[in-house]
Amino acid sequence: MSRIGEIVETMSTGFVAESFELNQPPALGSLILVQSGSIHLYAVVTYGRTAGLDPSRHAVRQGTDMVSDAAIYREHPELEHTLRTEFGAALVGLAVDRVIRQHLPAQPPPLHYSVQTAPADEVRRFTDQLQYLRLLLQTRGEVPSLQVLAANLREVFQQRGEDHDWLDRAAREVATLLKGDHEALLTVLYAIDPGEQTGGARP
Amino acid sequence: MSHNRLGAVVEGTFADGLTVRLDPGTTTEQLRIGDFVVVEGAHNRYFSLVSDIHLKAADPRLLADPPRDASAFVTRAMAGTSTYATVQVRPMLMLEKVDEFDPRALLGQQGGPQPVRTIPMHFAELRTADELDFSTVFGHEGGVNFAMGAPLTMEIPICLNLERFVERSNGIFGQSGTGKSFLARLVISGVIKSKAAVNLIFDMHDEYSFDKQTEDKRWVKGLRQVFGPQVLIYSLDEQVGRRAGRNVDVTLKVGLNQIEEPDIMLLTEELNLRQTAEASIGLLRDAFHEHWLLKLLEMTPEELEGFCTSSGAHPAALGSLQRNLKRLQRQEYIVSEASFSALDDMVEALDRGKHVILQFGRFNAVLDYLLVANLVTRRVRQRYEDKMRRYEETKAVADKPRPLMITIEEAHKFLNPAVARQTTFGTIAREMRKYNVTLLVIDQRPSGIDPEVMSQLGTRVSGKLTEERDIDSVLTGVSNRGALRGALESLDTRQQILVMGHAVPMPITVRTRPYDEAFYAAMGGHARPHGTDSDVRDLFGEE
Amino acid sequence: MPLKLGHISQQMYGMVQRIADLTPEQEQFIALAQALLRSVDPDALRQKLDAQLSQRRRIPWLVATPRGSLCDSASAPALPSDYRVIGTDASSMPPDRHSSVRYYVLNVGYAAIRYGSLPHATLDSRSQLCFRDEELYLFPERRDVPVEGTLLGARMEVEAVRILREVVPPVAMPTLALRDGPLILWTLQNESTAVQERLLDDLLETLSFLRQARVPVGGYISFSDSHDVTNSLRVWLCQGQLNACDHCDDPQRELCLALAKIHDRELFGFLADGERSELFSSSSQVLQAYGDQQVDFMYLNVGGEIARIEVPRWVGSDAALLGLLHAGTLDQCWRSSGFPPYPPALQEAHEQAAITPTERGLVEEMLARALARRGQRILRSAKDDSKRRRGV
Repeated sequence: MSRIGEIVETMSTGFVAESFELNQPPALGSLILVQSGSIHLYAVVTYGRTAGLDPSRHAVRQGTDMVSDAAIYREHPELEHTLRTEFGAALVGLAVDRVIRQHLPAQPPPLHYSVQTAPADEVRRFTDQLQYLRLLLQTRGEVPSLQVLAANLREVFQQRGEDHDWLDRAAREVATLLKGDHEALLTVLYAIDPGEQTGGARP
Repeated sequence: MSHNRLGAVVEGTFADGLTVRLDPGTTTEQLRIGDFVVVEGAHNRYFSLVSDIHLKAADPRLLADPPRDASAFVTRAMAGTSTYATVQVRPMLMLEKVDEFDPRALLGQQGGPQPVRTIPMHFAELRTADELDFSTVFGHEGGVNFAMGAPLTMEIPICLNLERFVERSNGIFGQSGTGKSFLARLVISGVIKSKAAVNLIFDMHDEYSFDKQTEDKRWVKGLRQVFGPQVLIYSLDEQVGRRAGRNVDVTLKVGLNQIEEPDIMLLTEELNLRQTAEASIGLLRDAFHEHWLLKLLEMTPEELEGFCTSSGAHPAALGSLQRNLKRLQRQEYIVSEASFSALDDMVEALDRGKHVILQFGRFNAVLDYLLVANLVTRRVRQRYEDKMRRYEETKAVADKPRPLMITIEEAHKFLNPAVARQTTFGTIAREMRKYNVTLLVIDQRPSGIDPEVMSQLGTRVSGKLTEERDIDSVLTGVSNRGALRGALESLDTRQQILVMGHAVPMPITVRTRPYDEAFYAAMGGHARPHGTDSDVRDLFGEE
Repeated sequence: MPLKLGHISQQMYGMVQRIADLTPEQEQFIALAQALLRSVDPDALRQKLDAQLSQRRRIPWLVATPRGSLCDSASAPALPSDYRVIGTDASSMPPDRHSSVRYYVLNVGYAAIRYGSLPHATLDSRSQLCFRDEELYLFPERRDVPVEGTLLGARMEVEAVRILREVVPPVAMPTLALRDGPLILWTLQNESTAVQERLLDDLLETLSFLRQARVPVGGYISFSDSHDVTNSLRVWLCQGQLNACDHCDDPQRELCLALAKIHDRELFGFLADGERSELFSSSSQVLQAYGDQQVDFMYLNVGGEIARIEVPRWVGSDAALLGLLHAGTLDQCWRSSGFPPYPPALQEAHEQAAITPTERGLVEEMLARALARRGQRILRSAKDDSKRRRGV
């Protein structure tokens, strides 16, 4: 179990968690999981943000000619304690006794519970069904839902070992969901196109 | 969902057919106009034809601005959702779906597919037809079911019901190069093998009797070689008859006494007759009865003049007529007087189950063809009329004349609107099967044939046609024309035909069966050597 | 609300004008003062000051006695690449006069930051609820000296230093400590010796501990108001009675009066970036209670301002410790992102120590609830109530 954060805000549609690693929120679009009792709640990362721990303290430039990037953290060790990284996630489904449902849960995840990255086999099983994409399209936040969707598809594609069949299937599902708005559809398709494939004619 | 599912019905009317939205992943290129497909309704199965294909877009803005950088991935994703296709299908026959394990219900289905009376509801599945569908609709090979070929994508025989085929006159069409003579050979072979009818074939281009080299340098067998002494070869040309290995059974001579006015009128164009010809002939006939032609040709100028004076005929007209008709006399096969016995014997041979091919040899000009075919057919039809009347009196089965199918090529020459009323062929076509005689009409210009005659053709087998009016003509009197039009236009030039009409339950596109060794074997090709004795016996003696 | 901003803004104009007018004149005097500084003979000044002080004639001002020269400066030595700095700060929630329950809250914050090959930081605070007699009264048996006002302030300062005993780790690594504010608690100079000694006890003990541990400690004062050294220059100039300026007819009278308005940080403006001045000892009366833990001071140009750094004498007389403190403080200022620079360790200590109004409210509420559970109520004064309610 790789815990990556703790929930600091929670609501029916999703939650905000503080990341354990500074500047390393989980990848945008990746699938994360909260275990609440016997229920696994699945969510997709919708944004990551790093800022001062105290909201009234703003980040100011710390770099100089000689000190920049990673060196800044070495030269200012107190930053680890005065900054925090948070990430937000949209709930996309749950699993009870290994039965997967892709709708919002009855209860939001409890505050202060741990967040983990979803292990590869659970990602695979969850994403075998694609209804969760509808929930993703409805997220409202700083990162546009189309970009979150595209990020998720890219992440899952990689996690499933470059599963081209799945990507095709997901792309068609997206095309169905966005058929009334082809500019939006193209935005997503261009963002998930895996590019030239080597080997094998496609059916 | 079966695994040859194509899509689902989304719209439709009984009058205009059904609109099916193709599933994502199903490309339009899998389907062709005229394909046989099946719609699974809740209660009925609809055997249908694809009549049109449309491309659509879910968001019309997509059409205004299609993506410029669409990779194969993007196109694939959009196919079937943002972009999709619909096909128009025409239900042709429907079959009530019954519980396979309910014997009573199955019995009720004995009649097979019925005409369409209703349409399925939304989202009924469209799928490709499988073997079972084909055999449900088109039956199995054997008996009166003769395999014409196979569907475009399968190896199942599609059959003509030859009994129904010979119930009406039929046509074989297609632009030149589409293999009409092969089709004719196929069909005629089927008829011969199944004994559905006896054949009289006017072989204008010397194609049907013996082997012939095709365009691609293959040698194919003639009907005589496949069926042996069942097939009798008549010829106008003596010389041909003497060539080895190509034995002709009878050399036919035509007497001037056998030529009648309608025969001459048919030759108006060929003989360059004037408008006055008909009138002149009428006067001659009044005077000389059945010898009018001989008499005319023998007349000296003085006699001509004299006749004109006495009958009131116009001298110039008559003179011109005589000149033109002298051409006839010059033909080698024309004699002054001939007996009708040769023709009558031919009819008897036909009655005994023989098939006759009339070759023209050297005399294969249009003039000869028109004259001889019309004349012979007239006599044959007359004999048949007599036989039929006798049968009606005696009602003895032995007296019933065998169904006869007469094959003519360049049919428009005999059946164009101008002459259709006058030729025997026109008469036969219109009479339908009154005297058990039907036509097999072969033509590449069906638009030249009188529409009334066309509408009488029961079964039409057509290769590719591109001229609008030819297509219109072939589809005269056929329902669901729109669907079939597309099918006709999209046929491959060589191997594909559309079969529709009386002898098939529904129109169907077919890859023709090859006319080759396998076919000869299937027909039970004879390899017996021929001897004159056996020929004579066949001609005159026992069956 | 009834503050008339309009009037204020008009008056502000006059104020700004006056500042602008005075500045060039001020700068001239500063230059003169610096020249004077350079001209003074340190020994002679020491003698003069000694004489004044030993004669027990009260010098009306705080003066600074130079420990070395007056005008010399020193650059910082090299700092070891691995070193640790601990900054401390404290804040308090004073006792509420209007409440029937007496308590106050002390919050001491610290930031221990390690630089070099193993960078690390610990930021934390220690919060204390003071309600016992010994915390509320300096002399709990007598209950006559409540810890509030100045005394509470002094207590806070002491706590800010005392925490160093807990947080200085035993690991040997060059370490320096800084606190935000003075080490010389001059606010106590008018208190009785008993009070002074009571309050300073922990401070002195901590300084002793730090001396043992060889951890130099400095009180960092930014934008200091002090003019100890300029006052010494006045003493130097004065040929007659100190503070009988009305009757003075010395030609240097003008400069002397001008010196009264010049702060030490302006005087020491000649220091180059990173340089410190020599050490000075203060004449603050409270130092008498410091015993052998005397505290001196110096000025340091941190690159943006001249800060006053107060250091124990044992730091000032040890070149290595003084050098570590000097270089370490500068290094801190270089790491600062603000202007003028401010040591991050102190910045973070301050953040750890601060008590927000919200937190104050929470403490009051928590207490009220806790008491309520035991059937007790907090009574408030009428004035306080009216302030809170502010009804019309």
